[in-house]
Amino acid sequence: MSNNPSGDADAVAARRRALAEALRSGEDVVVTPSGEVEYKDEAAEQGHTAIQVPNGKLARGE
Amino acid sequence: MSFYWYENDHGLLDGEKMAMAKFFPAFKLYKLEDGSGRIYWRGKVQPTGKGGMVWDLMLIYKNDHPQSEGFGGSIQILPVKPRLKDIAKQLPIDNDKGLGLGLPHIYRDNFGRNEEYFICTADPKYFKASQTRSTSAASSLSWACKWILLCEMWLNGEISDDVAREGVY
Repeated sequence: MSNNPSGDADAVAARRRALAEALRSGEDVVVTPSGEVEYKDEAAEQGHTAIQVPNGKLARGE
Repeated sequence: MSFYWYENDHGLLDGEKMAMAKFFPAFKLYKLEDGSGRIYWRGKVQPTGKGGMVWDLMLIYKNDHPQSEGFGGSIQILPVKPRLKDIAKQLPIDNDKGLGLGLPHIYRDNFGRNEEYFICTADPKYFKASQTRSTSAASSLSWACKWILLCEMWLNGEISDDVAREGVY
């Protein structure tokens, strides 16, 4: 267990930002069976079967 | 010829089942009990990983799957929990910022007797539907996980309205 909860929260937020930027720049990002968005290499290292996140814009909505 | 796509095209249904079993095995297939005959997948995802929200989702096929257009095609993504309508009503409405329903990249539609808010997935030009190829529920779910990542970051103030509205993810 971490003795630095705020550090953990910061690390989680930093990871989210990095993943978002990876998606924006078209890097290989996948979704694992739990629905977690991960780097492709990271998922492969952990042995996850993961679906590639398609590149492209989200539909605009209302 | 049946009104329901899954009775007309067993190959497509089998492909959908195989894709979901491979990529999202915890999701199960059901039929709506509203008489519409529509089938749907239901399960939970946690796109931002540990510490992030768990989303209980329904992926509902329209009966003309895979031919529908707009907001992500013939598979509608409905968050059961958290419910988008409940989140959105706590947020300001800003039509000028593309936030006419309070959240980016969502739309409304009738569901049973209620109007519900659904996640927009692919921009129509990215949606694949043809005689030989269609966007599957698994692919739509991966789009939805992208949306959730974006939405949680936006709600946390980690990305701006402009970035969220642009939706280049």
